[in-house]
Amino acid sequence: MNIEIKEVNGVTTAIMEGRLDTPAAIKAGQQMQPLFEVADKEIVIDCTQLEYISSSGLRLFLALRKETSTKGGKVIIEHINDEIKKVFMMTGFFNLFVIRN
Amino acid sequence: MSNISDATPKSFRLTLVNQVDEISKLEGYIEEIASSAGIDPALSMSLNLALEEAVTNVVLYAYPEGQTGEADILTTVADGVLTFVISDSGVPFDPTKDAKKADITLSAEDRPIGGLGVFLVKEIMDTVSYQRTDGKNVLTLTKTLVSGE
Repeated sequence: MNIEIKEVNGVTTAIMEGRLDTPAAIKAGQQMQPLFEVADKEIVIDCTQLEYISSSGLRLFLALRKETSTKGGKVIIEHINDEIKKVFMMTGFFNLFVIRN
Repeated sequence: MSNISDATPKSFRLTLVNQVDEISKLEGYIEEIASSAGIDPALSMSLNLALEEAVTNVVLYAYPEGQTGEADILTTVADGVLTFVISDSGVPFDPTKDAKKADITLSAEDRPIGGLGVFLVKEIMDTVSYQRTDGKNVLTLTKTLVSGE
């Protein structure tokens, strides 16, 4: 699982590639610290190449979402595949995030 | 013309040691099962999610700090039903006893971080049952496999 964080049109964007299973989510927590630091702004998580997300991964997304909620920022999730979309709907996550195609 | 769900029961076993990185082995395990039983990608991902949640609980919490232990997974597909049996010899722990049922309508601020995993397992699987037998935790998850699921 790779995470690349960069600025895209001035917006902090995390590009996720691979499978966010539990071991990956534990490492990702550290890699995603820069995102928590800009939780007062708009953050984009590009999931074009995200193949799988475990409940550990969902918890990580939720933690970021809560941080932006406190600090006044926003989390936008882009390009989740159909299977992951189903998981988001099943867990109510679909309504917690801005989901963009 | 043969039936899509093969009449011959199939079983697949995987044993993991209680180290977090072992959990990555579930991907290949599910792939093997899905391929053999003709399970589509969406259902396959859901099964992976449910199994991962159950196994993660064992790997992270079943055994005391510093103690090596195993998570044993036996999967069978028979008569159109997939069954996961996850067992361990760790401390008695019933993951089906959820303190609070996850409320998926809560706002992000109010949504607790915990409770999500068990909720997912119960949403995805058709039955979830726990037994403590002969010093082992045994969690049984079943899913009926039907085309168009």
